[in-house]
Amino acid sequence: MSADQAGIGPPRVGTPEGQSPGRAEGTVQRREFLKVLGVTGAATTLVGCYSESIEKLIPYVVSPDNTVPGVSNYYATTCRECPAGCGLLVETRDGRAIKAEGNPDHPVNRGALCARGQAGVQGLYNPDRYRGPMLREGGTLVPTTWDRAIQTLSTKLAEARNSGAAAGAVFINQHEQGSFPAFLDQWLASQGLPPHLSYDAEAPLGAIAANRAQYGVAWPKLDFQAAKLVVSFAADYLDGWGLTVPQQLAFAEARARLEGAPRVVYIGARRSLTGLNSDAWIPARPGTVKSVADALLGAITGRATGVTLAQAADQAGVSAAALESLAAELRSARPSLLIAGGASERAADMALTVAELNRVLGNVGVTVKPFEGFLAYEGVASQAAVRAAAEQMAAGRVALAFVRGANPAHTTPAPVKFAEAFQKVPFKVSFSSYPDETSSLCDLVLPDHHGLESWGDAEPVRGTLGLQQPVMDPVFNTRATADVLIAVAKANAATAFRYPADYRAWIASRIGGNAALAAALPTGLMRGAALAAWAPRPVAAKSGGGLAASAGEYFLYAYHSPALGDGRGANKPWLQELPDPVTKIAWQTVIELHPETAKKLGIAEGDHATIETGQGSLTAPVYLYIGLRPDTIALATGRGHTAYGRYAEGCGANVMALLPVAEDARSGAQALVSTKATIRKAVGRSLLVTTEGSGRQHGRGIARALTAEQLAQGETHDEHETFRGQAKTEFLPGLRSPVANDAQGDLGDPTSKDKGQYDPAHWSGAAKRRWAMTIDLARCTGCSACVTACYAENNIPTVGASWQGPQFLPDRTGLGSNITRGREMAWMRLERYFEIDREPKDVEFDPDFETRLIPMLCQHCGNAPCEPVCPVYATYHSPDGLNVQVYNRCVGTRYCSNNCPYKVRYFNWFGYGEPNRQQYAFPEPLHWQLNPDVTVRAKGVMEKCTFCVQRIREAQNRAKLENRELQPDEFTTACAQACPSRAIVFGDAADEKWSVTRRIEDARAYHVFEELNTYTAVVYLKKVNHPPRAAAAKA
Amino acid sequence: MATLAPPSPHDAPHRPNIAAAGQPLPAIRDYEQVDREILATLRPTKGWFALLLVAVACLGLGIAAWMYQIQQGLGVAGYNPPVMWGVYIITFVFWIGIGHAGTLISAILFLFRAGFRTTIYRCAEAMTVFAVMTAGLFPILHLGRPWKFFWLVPYPNWRFIWPQFKSPLVWDVFAISTYLTISATFLFIGLIPDIATLRDRERNPVKKRILSALSFGWRNSEREWRHFARAYLFLAAFSTPLVLSVHSVVSFDFAMSLVPGWHTTIFAPYFVAGAIFSGMGMVFTIIIPIRKFFRLEHYVTLNVMDAGAKLTLFTSLVVGCAYLVEFFIAWYGAVPVEQDYFWNRLFGQWWWAAWIMLTCNMILPLSLFSQRLRRNPAWLWILSLFINLGMWFERFVIIVPGLSHEYEPWQWSGYIPTWVDYSILLGSFGWFFMWFLLFIKNLPVVAITEVKEIVPPKVRAGHRHGGGH
Repeated sequence: MSADQAGIGPPRVGTPEGQSPGRAEGTVQRREFLKVLGVTGAATTLVGCYSESIEKLIPYVVSPDNTVPGVSNYYATTCRECPAGCGLLVETRDGRAIKAEGNPDHPVNRGALCARGQAGVQGLYNPDRYRGPMLREGGTLVPTTWDRAIQTLSTKLAEARNSGAAAGAVFINQHEQGSFPAFLDQWLASQGLPPHLSYDAEAPLGAIAANRAQYGVAWPKLDFQAAKLVVSFAADYLDGWGLTVPQQLAFAEARARLEGAPRVVYIGARRSLTGLNSDAWIPARPGTVKSVADALLGAITGRATGVTLAQAADQAGVSAAALESLAAELRSARPSLLIAGGASERAADMALTVAELNRVLGNVGVTVKPFEGFLAYEGVASQAAVRAAAEQMAAGRVALAFVRGANPAHTTPAPVKFAEAFQKVPFKVSFSSYPDETSSLCDLVLPDHHGLESWGDAEPVRGTLGLQQPVMDPVFNTRATADVLIAVAKANAATAFRYPADYRAWIASRIGGNAALAAALPTGLMRGAALAAWAPRPVAAKSGGGLAASAGEYFLYAYHSPALGDGRGANKPWLQELPDPVTKIAWQTVIELHPETAKKLGIAEGDHATIETGQGSLTAPVYLYIGLRPDTIALATGRGHTAYGRYAEGCGANVMALLPVAEDARSGAQALVSTKATIRKAVGRSLLVTTEGSGRQHGRGIARALTAEQLAQGETHDEHETFRGQAKTEFLPGLRSPVANDAQGDLGDPTSKDKGQYDPAHWSGAAKRRWAMTIDLARCTGCSACVTACYAENNIPTVGASWQGPQFLPDRTGLGSNITRGREMAWMRLERYFEIDREPKDVEFDPDFETRLIPMLCQHCGNAPCEPVCPVYATYHSPDGLNVQVYNRCVGTRYCSNNCPYKVRYFNWFGYGEPNRQQYAFPEPLHWQLNPDVTVRAKGVMEKCTFCVQRIREAQNRAKLENRELQPDEFTTACAQACPSRAIVFGDAADEKWSVTRRIEDARAYHVFEELNTYTAVVYLKKVNHPPRAAAAKA
Repeated sequence: MATLAPPSPHDAPHRPNIAAAGQPLPAIRDYEQVDREILATLRPTKGWFALLLVAVACLGLGIAAWMYQIQQGLGVAGYNPPVMWGVYIITFVFWIGIGHAGTLISAILFLFRAGFRTTIYRCAEAMTVFAVMTAGLFPILHLGRPWKFFWLVPYPNWRFIWPQFKSPLVWDVFAISTYLTISATFLFIGLIPDIATLRDRERNPVKKRILSALSFGWRNSEREWRHFARAYLFLAAFSTPLVLSVHSVVSFDFAMSLVPGWHTTIFAPYFVAGAIFSGMGMVFTIIIPIRKFFRLEHYVTLNVMDAGAKLTLFTSLVVGCAYLVEFFIAWYGAVPVEQDYFWNRLFGQWWWAAWIMLTCNMILPLSLFSQRLRRNPAWLWILSLFINLGMWFERFVIIVPGLSHEYEPWQWSGYIPTWVDYSILLGSFGWFFMWFLLFIKNLPVVAITEVKEIVPPKVRAGHRHGGGH
């Protein structure tokens, strides 16, 4: 199982140029690529990792440059999963991208990467991508050649120009950062077409409009660290709102200041992940957060803002005392950081009020830093513009429509009737890579490269250019849109001279030539600026009647799913399988109700319910969530696709079907919280596809916390430390847990003092190290990026697709049928415990509850309960402290899992790794992503977290080849690497030069279930809570 | 043993079923009758064929389900992690437990000279062998990769890879294989004189040859009888500790682990008592129909039933006591995880299973305090079915609620078996009863030799020697 491939040389960072054989136009790229793979033999080791099968390995006869079999190359590029423009280092092996990692030098993400960024490679290898260009013939899309496709496009463009219809054309592009939008607009202009719409259904336009008005930039830097108090006005800055990774990095850094950390308050109707990470929740009724902001402004400045705190409290349905004390806190805690979010019709107005609050509190320039801001949202068009375009289409005024990446047929509210309007356009062109709802309506499909196959650039922060380069040859017969545009332009003598050979050359010429490009590619970063796109045309917003005026008993609170976003993540099984950080639901759309409301309506969890609004209705199972106002129904976006591939289709429901067109007058943002709804119990009942067992800790002390005050007084014990284990009494240098001397150390003779290789003094040095991990719960936000990173690194199968259950007479069918049986395979999971004394399914509404989020993975116990019970030594203890699982030896008694108190062992119930089975988790070409250093587990064996043993061995081998010692913190595990909170630290606990040893010595450190004497190698650091300062002062 | 007044000679023909002092089998007049009546049971009947067909059909279903499970993976069974052990391990413990009463009756009661065992011991011992054969399948059946089961056996190999001797599962391998070997040998040794009886009456030359070989050329000599008695005694003595040790080892599968509700020192005696209790249940389930349909009421007398029922009642009380001690220790031990588990077992998620168990194993057997019911075969048979059910649920209650409600609340779960689990469970009954049905029509279900030994001397005197004697 370990990766014993000799690592030669450090991980290389560079460009894959020269590695890819040139290819002729119109050939089937996939086969060509497979041929290359075939000779390396890597592909065969991937698909055939069963102990029984024997495969031949044939080395390269002539090796491509930069390619050493078994050694990864890393290419710096830019993430295109959201507009933030995080830097990536993409690990490639034998010409295939296998993992996306954050670029440590990048100013936006500093080496971290969120779950969506990680899942980019599943977009690259998505089995449902367009294989090549398609043309609609006789009503259906049929494959065509690039020549013919480009010719068709040129003809249509010429027709449009000649008929004068060109000016009415519409180009909707997925909003992205960089020069491409400007390039696109130039090209459109040269073709006589109007500028494109840079559409992002998730963009927080209200906040952006206010920022532009107040600071002149779309997105200032939010400096959490400088703040003493953070107040979120429904801004879900940890849920994908805005720029996830930099916000989370800053938030975690701030929380890591422990007793000096800011107190965090969340105002909003639903306690999102941001809300759960806040110290207090003010559950303002939907649509009233603006009143709260106004009242606070009034209270702080003494100005008349039309509403007093008492009135605002009354409107918002919260206690006046809570607002009073917040106002008092705002007055005293300076600087503070107030963040306006929300997706109501008055989001921009509210954001302006909050900006004013920030100004009067002196936060501008201190915690809100406009001049260090991010450029992600520069040039984003309003959602109103897309709605207006649809109206034009419906009126028959659009002769030619283009769409690239964006999927407005799924992401616009039902009354827009986008699909209907779009179909009225005589000729529709899609540049999208996936057969989504919009592009399946198109007449011509010119599939774009995936971001990891493309050239490009981004300017995420002013003055820094992040480059985007292909990390591998294209998987399919796709072509970069920019190259298609250039080819079209080249076909016309009038425009041909303006363009270089391809987009790469265009990028190179912009930044100073090929040499400059080649010099910058290894880091992926350079000084410079992207070409500025034209400012989007302002479009008149269309108000939607108002929230208060709409009919219905309950407020409908739609929100963007943290993992799936507006729905673009739904075709990636990792993101479908990733339990929502708050609801812990996967593969399913649920209607969130407060238990109190559900009780009133006679609805039990899992019962189906129907929501009706003036726009439509939706039926889905009910999930009971205590972090929701009882007068509110919440629903996440992202699912309910009717197209978009096998993983997205038929999974869940789309909340956009319920929403009216209701746009913020100032920003043109489509409001997600814009209507009331009625709800009634429907026929039927579903099992919830959830990973949640019990939602509270039952006093078991798994996720522990201290208050800031306790910490300040040096008090680090909590109520759970009544049962003390012996771990602390048996010290070894660097770790409070000893090296295992129980399991195999005595080598069969209990009287012998000879520990063999398990003796740290043994000449082999095998036991010299003790791998350990610390997880700082003060930093962890529960975002679950680590979970997806683990899936990516360790070839963990996703098991939730509807076909992954039993074939014959299944007793449970449909999506997530394996997960309803608790068979998810996540080696690392995020537990979300509510600190309440009753089951969270049966409580009255009380906004004052605490949530503890804790990543749980194999604890690599020094005295592991799983080891002695395995009858065949399939699990044993390595001398360097790892609890090792030998897949080949495992016969599948599952006793180890029974005996594991942490329940972190996962069994292969089906042949998820076997290509000839319906349960296969990696249908071609998803299996190209599989990490060749990690075995794909066969049916019937147990698996679990290995502490990324392949990374440990790779680093050790590299050090050995270079005839040196391992450097402290030289490498880390996939979860620690991805963590955007920097909560996870991995290293050698026996060597105090590693930073993990300092964390282990922290006063907050504890072992989970220490009383069981398992001597875990994973040490948690207690969370730090910040109760109200008033109470703290009293105590 | 018998507490009734000796029957008057006038009553005797009407109450062949009730023993008198010094006359355990009042309706048996001579050896010839013993031979005739017992050998008559070996004639196959239509009902027997029908039952055999049902058993084989159940077995076929089980085999089909297992093949499907091997092909697809264990996911087709109802496992719901962390409930990683389910119906298969429950059924394994169930069958292993069944076997214990057989050994108790055949070996321990033999050593204690408990006369009531004589007529039922053969049946019980056969039940033991077949139950262990059935039980032995399950640890293999529940493996993720059953084709690798031999890795649990310490066999020499050039890589010097041995099993983990600390693992109770390896102890299981030894315990079960030892138990199967010893009990099969014991059954066989006891059969030798009876096989010789069959051989003497067999006309089919092929069968006769086979029976000759199986009887080791038994000649009915003094020396042979002496050796037979020695071997029988020796094996009885050898089997006796196994009654205690095998199920103790099985209980270690649970007791050696950390799982709340499993990790307890009471498990070994508790399991042994439970095993004997469940085995008595199965003995009644089997012996009562045999007694009726083979017309052996005057062999398996009501006194035998009564004595067996008393043993059942006693073990039921022991088991009930163990249940109460478990609850007490959970409370007294003050480990919150343990207390939580017991609460959940009894009043939470699994209350129905726990109350099935308590009702069948603790409450219903209390009826056996009534002598009338002890001597009522119909009631005993119905009760025995409840005991079987209750003891299956006892293992369910130990295994499933423990695993589903462990240390990590986030991983608490439920468990619902699928058709594959049920088919394999049914298949195990098919397998057991197939062997048993084949046994009862091929070999005497009542030990001819031993019955003849307890026929009173005066009856014996009027008898001319023949057959095996």
